[in-house]
Amino acid sequence: MAGIRLDHLKKSFGAFTAVQDLDLDVTDGEFLVLLGPSGCGKTTTLNCIAGLETPSAGRILFDGRDVTSDPPHSRNIAMVFQSALLYPHMTAAANIEASLRRSDLAPEERRRRIDDAVSMLEIGDLLDKLPSEMSGGQRQRVATAKAIVRQPTAFLLDEPLSALDAALRMTLRAEIVNLQKRLGSTTVFVTHDQVEAMTMGDRIAVMNGGRLEQIGTPSEIYERPRSLFVAGFVGSPPMNLIRGEVADGVFAAGELRVPLAAAPGPVTLGVRPQHLHVRAEGGLPCAIFALERLGRETVLIVEDRARNRLRLLVEAEFEGRVGDPLDVAPDPARCLLFDDASGLIHAPAN
Amino acid sequence: MQRRMTLWAWLGIAVAVVWTLLPIYWFLKMSLLTPDEIARFPPPLVPLDPTPAAYFNIFGFDYQVTPELVRRASGQAGQIINGLINSLIVSIVVTAITMLVVVPLAYVFARLDFRFKQALLITILLSVALPPVSTLIPFYALYVQLGLAGTRFGLIVVTLTITIPFVTWMLIGYLRNLPPVERLARVDGYTRLETLVFIVIPLARSGIAVAAVIAFLFAWNEYTYALVLVNGTPANTLATALSGFLFQHPEPSHLAAALVVSILPPVLVAYFLQRHIAEMNLVDPIR
Repeated sequence: MAGIRLDHLKKSFGAFTAVQDLDLDVTDGEFLVLLGPSGCGKTTTLNCIAGLETPSAGRILFDGRDVTSDPPHSRNIAMVFQSALLYPHMTAAANIEASLRRSDLAPEERRRRIDDAVSMLEIGDLLDKLPSEMSGGQRQRVATAKAIVRQPTAFLLDEPLSALDAALRMTLRAEIVNLQKRLGSTTVFVTHDQVEAMTMGDRIAVMNGGRLEQIGTPSEIYERPRSLFVAGFVGSPPMNLIRGEVADGVFAAGELRVPLAAAPGPVTLGVRPQHLHVRAEGGLPCAIFALERLGRETVLIVEDRARNRLRLLVEAEFEGRVGDPLDVAPDPARCLLFDDASGLIHAPAN
Repeated sequence: MQRRMTLWAWLGIAVAVVWTLLPIYWFLKMSLLTPDEIARFPPPLVPLDPTPAAYFNIFGFDYQVTPELVRRASGQAGQIINGLINSLIVSIVVTAITMLVVVPLAYVFARLDFRFKQALLITILLSVALPPVSTLIPFYALYVQLGLAGTRFGLIVVTLTITIPFVTWMLIGYLRNLPPVERLARVDGYTRLETLVFIVIPLARSGIAVAAVIAFLFAWNEYTYALVLVNGTPANTLATALSGFLFQHPEPSHLAAALVVSILPPVLVAYFLQRHIAEMNLVDPIR
């Protein structure tokens, strides 16, 4: 196992720059999630780590060793691709064995590693099947077995769960994390799904437009998003972002007033749906736009008189009908303020 | 609605089957008739007294119908046998060379990126658009100068100019739809060539088999170039040899029998093709 270090990594395709000046440290044994919308450069970054793409500039180091120009198989990485790609014309057993074709292991060691992986992932009855004869979850298990037999320096996973249905995704999420912790292997996991990122990662690196927006633990990213982009991207339902202005220690946007001690000027206020509350009076006058009942809680979507929509999390039993008037007010102690240029400028003290 | 669709579908299939099979049936029947029956009007719809005489005759054998009636071997037997051998040689060699060239060529165009790819591809595909007639005279003039007119080698070369672009075009589409196994192969340490040989070719075997069959049928049915470049020489193919019947001693059952023989290889090959076409459509190569 090893730590991975990206040093001023840059990758362009013609005039298009996919990754710009990226510095990233993945520590030994860490589960790092690269999170971002499609086209943000996360898969390109992963392909550079794997050696499938050659960086235009910068270096990639495995445990301090420069591997920037090494081909994929000599980096001793294992990769699981989108939709758990396997060789479609080979059985599960042949697919797993293909991982070891360039290794100089003794036959018995080879056998042992394959047997270990097969029993760990409980795929003994799939070995003679072709990928087309397996379900999505089974393919995922075989692809994982194919990855672990190599006992690689690092596992690289490129949206391996994106093609699966929600229930299966949830099961496999836990399985992958459990396996990663048991093996203690350095893992880089690419996804555009913030729930996957929050639930799986030791740390999350949020990328946007080829740049690293923020890196931190899931709670750091959630509680103190460093930029408007991270604030809007992470969290479900998403954070409410309200443009307004601070003057005399009060944030004002339309009819909304929130006392906040911040420097005067135009800002964006960010408040999570659970920190926006229904008030009898004295808040921002709104009308119910929609109610989304999730069972444990309800997402209330309201519209103010200027037709701006806000989301609130309320208790499951909340009574209300579309069109009902009500007042909402954010908890000033949980509000974040963002400046368009410099990002987070005010956050509650933890 | 469901019922009516089925009815129309069946009707369509029936029309297509009759349209396709009637001519084949007609000369199959004709090949089994006696000269008298062929001359009769209206012609018989089924052979009342089928005789395989014509099939013996076209390969140079007399056929004893009754103790006193012998149907004599065809005078063109030599040409037919020679044409059959030439057609088989030309078609097999053309198919082999086409596939050797086309599989890597189509792969490169379908799966790799390189400079001038689009321009090169268009150049290759443009030659599909050229009607053979337009290049016939230049080829003839060139071949006479080079001494290639009237040779199997010359015919093979000219047939390749048709099969290679066409089959490349066909195979590119198929290879494009394969899953991105190259990345997986690179992580597993396959070289580019190993990826092609051990991963892509086995994975694409259906498409490649169909492509080979198409190349074979093109070569087997090639008529325009053969007529000009090899007709009347020892390198004559079956297609052009058959056309010679029309102007010589009229023996319709011989022509019909020779036609049946000439469609046998394509029929066998198409039988083989049909299995793979079905596979190509039914099995999604992505999964």
